Amino acid sequence: MSGEKPILEIKDLTFTYAGAETPALKNINLQIFEGEYVALLGLNGSGKTTLQLCINAVIPHMIMGDMEGSVTVQDLDTAEYPTRELAKIVGVVFDNPEFQLSQMSVAEEIALGLENLGVAVEEMNPIIHEVLDIVGLSGLGDRSPFELSGGQQQRLSIAAALAMRPQILVMDEPTSNVDPIGKEEVFAVAAKLNRERKMTVIMAEHEVEVMAAYANRIIVMDHGEVILNGTPTEVFSQLDVLEKAGLRVPQVTEMAYRLEHDRSAHWNSVYPVTTEEAFQRIAPLFGGKHD
Amino acid sequence: MRGVVIPISMVPGNSVIHRISPLPKLLLAGCVLVLSFSTRNPAILGALIVLGMVMVSVANIWKPFLRVMAILFPILLTLITLQSIAPAFPRPWTPIVSMGPFTIYQEGIYSGVTMVERATSMTIFALAAIMTTHPSDLFASLQKIGMPYVLNFILTMTLQLIPILQKEFTTVLSAQKSRGLKGTGFAAVLPSMVPVFVGAIERVQQLSISLESRAFGSSGAKTSYRSVKVSWVDYLLMLLTTFGTCGLLYWIITDPSLDWSRTLIFAPWLAITLFTLATIGFLIFVIIAIRVVLRA
Ligand SMILES: Nc1ncnc2c1ncn2[C@@H]1O[C@H](COP(=O)(O)OP(=O)(O)O)[C@@H](O)[C@H]1O
Ligand SMILES: [Mg+2]
Repeated sequence: MSGEKPILEIKDLTFTYAGAETPALKNINLQIFEGEYVALLGLNGSGKTTLQLCINAVIPHMIMGDMEGSVTVQDLDTAEYPTRELAKIVGVVFDNPEFQLSQMSVAEEIALGLENLGVAVEEMNPIIHEVLDIVGLSGLGDRSPFELSGGQQQRLSIAAALAMRPQILVMDEPTSNVDPIGKEEVFAVAAKLNRERKMTVIMAEHEVEVMAAYANRIIVMDHGEVILNGTPTEVFSQLDVLEKAGLRVPQVTEMAYRLEHDRSAHWNSVYPVTTEEAFQRIAPLFGGKHD
Repeated sequence: MRGVVIPISMVPGNSVIHRISPLPKLLLAGCVLVLSFSTRNPAILGALIVLGMVMVSVANIWKPFLRVMAILFPILLTLITLQSIAPAFPRPWTPIVSMGPFTIYQEGIYSGVTMVERATSMTIFALAAIMTTHPSDLFASLQKIGMPYVLNFILTMTLQLIPILQKEFTTVLSAQKSRGLKGTGFAAVLPSMVPVFVGAIERVQQLSISLESRAFGSSGAKTSYRSVKVSWVDYLLMLLTTFGTCGLLYWIITDPSLDWSRTLIFAPWLAITLFTLATIGFLIFVIIAIRVVLRA
């Protein structure tokens, strides 16, 4: 990755909301590359949403405050390009499904962005079909967005963003208002986009098990600062740091820790973070056949 | 809360009226509006109402139509009550009967009845157009006849917001009740308004960020996904509507005998009956409305 150019580069970013006394983001430095699946972890109020709003220029163009440092997406400085001009690069999905929808039908919800870009009407239906297919909502084009389940609404929001062909998909706790089945569906769509289309995904999420399985990078925020930044294995191996920030690690990782402390198991500081990894490393201890 | 907000939206169907493009329907509703305001002749207004009812029948939308009228009509009835005793009409007024401090005037009854007819005919045609047209087509048509994009968008959003806020209000209210808040009267309704209102502001902020993220507000040319097709049948209908309206207007303006305000004499018993019915009808409505709101 070293020679490659980052798709998103954040340099010395500090942001203080207008009227706030302390900054919501403190001296953030990050480089994110095309095709990465980045999970943002952190307690409520740690600055995940604020950071994500900086990526598509909502900060500083739509939300007032004091911003220092720079955010560059695809070589475009967000200080110079307002949100609407970044729509073709950054798609966003927020936590509350209903607050993002406004149209009379699913198809029109997707068409809205295309209309704003001035896409020719004949080209719209193929795009609408394609993105509905990607998110698994084919055939629901005529339904009202407000009749859909929470999971379907979030997938519609993803589809509406996808229609504009972004390279980065920013998702802010997209499953926090969604039922368990809906959560799975949303995670599955995000993973598929990342795997099959090299979509760069930046997702704030509380479900550490899911993030351990899907993300290839975890960024942990605490009081507006990035305190950890690395692969799931690297990050979840820092149990003490995470605990101090009030965060959990995946259950299998926690068990691995306890095995080390109570039963003198040795992981050489590389703890398993998914059930599969744990199985691969624990199973041999029990002998017997394995292949 | 059900029944408090007036449900005005499309009633799915496949009648002739449903299939006509929205433009002739909008034009007809507009023409009836003009006609209703240009005459006070009860017979012409009555004929418009009958025509409107024929449309409602053909479209097969009596039930939702009557549901709206059940709320609107009693409010209109106040016009008869108020006009009877204080006509919006040039003097001299012809008294029919006196009841204590109130006198019912001939011109007042005439004015009240024709005002109710006017409002009814306008409403019927507007409702018939709205209830037989998909809202998206309606907005696409409004845009076609020159309504600005942003205004159109605001209208769409407002229509979407009403049922959502209504649902939220019900949720908040039942949550507050389950937390032991005394659940009757405006005392219970008011505290629920605050979170709904705050929620609405948050929703609008979030939505504007969400829309902007989808390039809303970009300069540059926009396209429109929904488009209304206008066929020759629609043009013919619009032509007929225009000619019909012009003809009627010409007649209304040039024929002074259509002013029946001094010739249509209401017998005292008829005047009192109309006045009483209108007043009672309105009072019953007010009582029912208050009870529905308080029970919510
Ligand atoms: N619109 C705002 N105005 C002022 N302060 C805000 C605003 N939004 C968030 N904050 C503050 O910024 C900090 C970070 O919040 P946020 O980015 O929403 O965190 P997270 O998404 O991780 O929960 C919090 O202290 C929060 O109170
Ligand atoms: Mg947040």
